[in-house]
Amino acid sequence: MSNTYYEFFCPVKVIAGKAALEHIPYELSALGAKRPMVVTDKGVRAAGLLDPVIAACEESGLEIVNIYDDVPPDSSTTVVRDIAAVYRKEKCDSIIAIGGGSAIDTGKAVNILVSEGGDDIAKYSGAGVLKRPLKPFLVVPTTAGTGSEVTSIAVITDEKKGVKLPFTSSYLLPNAAVIDPRMTLTLPPHITAATAMDAMTHAVESFTCMAKNPLSDAYATAAIKKVSRSLLQVMDNPKDSDGRLELAQASTMAGIAFSNSMVGLVHSLGHATGAICHLPHGLCMSLYLPYVLEYNLETIREPLSELLLHLEGPEVYAATPASRRAEASISALRKLRDALYKRCKLPRTLKETGKVTEDQLDQIAEMALDDGSIMFNPKEVTLKDARAVLQRAWA
Amino acid sequence: MLAKRIQPMASQAKRLYVELMFQVMGRALQAVSEVDSEVQGEARVLPEGFLFEMMVMPEGSRLIVEHIGNGRFHYHGDSAPRPVDVSIKFKHLTHAFLVLSFQEKTSVAFANDRMLVDGDVSYAVRMTRVLNRLEAFILPKIIAERAVKEYPANLHLPEKLISAAQIYLKVATHFVQTVRA
Ligand SMILES: [Fe+2]
Repeated sequence: MSNTYYEFFCPVKVIAGKAALEHIPYELSALGAKRPMVVTDKGVRAAGLLDPVIAACEESGLEIVNIYDDVPPDSSTTVVRDIAAVYRKEKCDSIIAIGGGSAIDTGKAVNILVSEGGDDIAKYSGAGVLKRPLKPFLVVPTTAGTGSEVTSIAVITDEKKGVKLPFTSSYLLPNAAVIDPRMTLTLPPHITAATAMDAMTHAVESFTCMAKNPLSDAYATAAIKKVSRSLLQVMDNPKDSDGRLELAQASTMAGIAFSNSMVGLVHSLGHATGAICHLPHGLCMSLYLPYVLEYNLETIREPLSELLLHLEGPEVYAATPASRRAEASISALRKLRDALYKRCKLPRTLKETGKVTEDQLDQIAEMALDDGSIMFNPKEVTLKDARAVLQRAWA
Repeated sequence: MLAKRIQPMASQAKRLYVELMFQVMGRALQAVSEVDSEVQGEARVLPEGFLFEMMVMPEGSRLIVEHIGNGRFHYHGDSAPRPVDVSIKFKHLTHAFLVLSFQEKTSVAFANDRMLVDGDVSYAVRMTRVLNRLEAFILPKIIAERAVKEYPANLHLPEKLISAAQIYLKVATHFVQTVRA
């Protein structure tokens, strides 16, 4: 294959493990920052997750100048503008985003405004608009799934125009991602399950879609192994901080994998379903994953067979005839979904969600076809194909 | 094979080839949008006056088409009447050449970071589907299979249009052989 070519990029410093939060003051000072602003949401504050961060900073004599804790689940251009105004008024010099996908995306967008100036974030929308590094920026994820701490994209809703603005630039990447098991210890079971399945999907799609490459493959398989080994353990014992750390690391690794090799039809369908039926992203991922793998099966038989080793371990892999491994990988994922359904009712079909009606399927199919990730799906998808997958995922 | 014959081309020749292929594709896009209901169906969703560009970075050849309504495209040559809405930019002439000489599938080129998309991604996805359909039309099946992920089963175009486009292609191929010699 003389045409083989790929790019791989991940300049984010990963600070992970026990007492990782206590490294924040050092990291900020190494970046020359003295007046950080925290961007987070009410849920994070209510769960008491800010306390260890504040304590860690105070103990090192670093003052957190301001805490903005009102990021909504779907961040908007207005929120970004308001936070940037506070940042400027308080003369902050760096940002710490603490939370899930929305808080992190908001942090990225605020960083654009406070670094580049102005009040109109829409002006910086698109690819490659930013030409230079932004202010010091740390991310502390509080869910283990999105991988936003290592992706160079942010999505912010423009309320007035009712559209989602994408921002892509490697300058959006934080200087460091701080992964501390304390931050995910209190995640409720259904969120733990859904976000872990998002990470699983990132890894599986990046390993089976068109832009896969040897470096992202290594991250993807390691992430799949960690989620397969630790997710049910953590579901049964939520305070298992070693297991929590495994899931958090898996999420970051899967994030590194998919930000370099992209995702496919599971995400196209998931994005459309999220937009139309307002279902959480991770839930949609878990729901569609096996059906899409079945659709892609003949195109991805080889990589999917290989995944059995990471999903089920060497014994099962060795005991399964090579010609059955791809199907066995799909069964392993179905088994995992059944186990999650038993523990927290994470839906396996659209009907089980109770929030989708059968007459919405056409609309979902049409919207999925316009989603950017469909370009990287290994098998071409027509409207008819998308409808067929949705029909199978219905019940 | 075509690919083999054009291997040793110099950069000037690549540039001319890419420019010529852009012209072939631009005209063919317009022609196909006048007869093929599937292309029309895809295009109809685009706003009227929507401008689509394919270009070679930094300031190389380009192809500009406009959606003039009802699923029809109009080919503008290499200059746009106003700022374009979606631009697919090849990072280097060599990458454009790989794709336009059908040595690398469009979707693979995307996956391989050979090109950038500027503008609304959903429209870009739509235009990629239109281009796939177009390539399937104007190329002999054997080459088209290398250019698109899947060769469509339902190509119903007047023979005349297909042969017209294939004439362009022959011109291009012939041209490639000439510059190579
Ligand atoms: Fe995802």
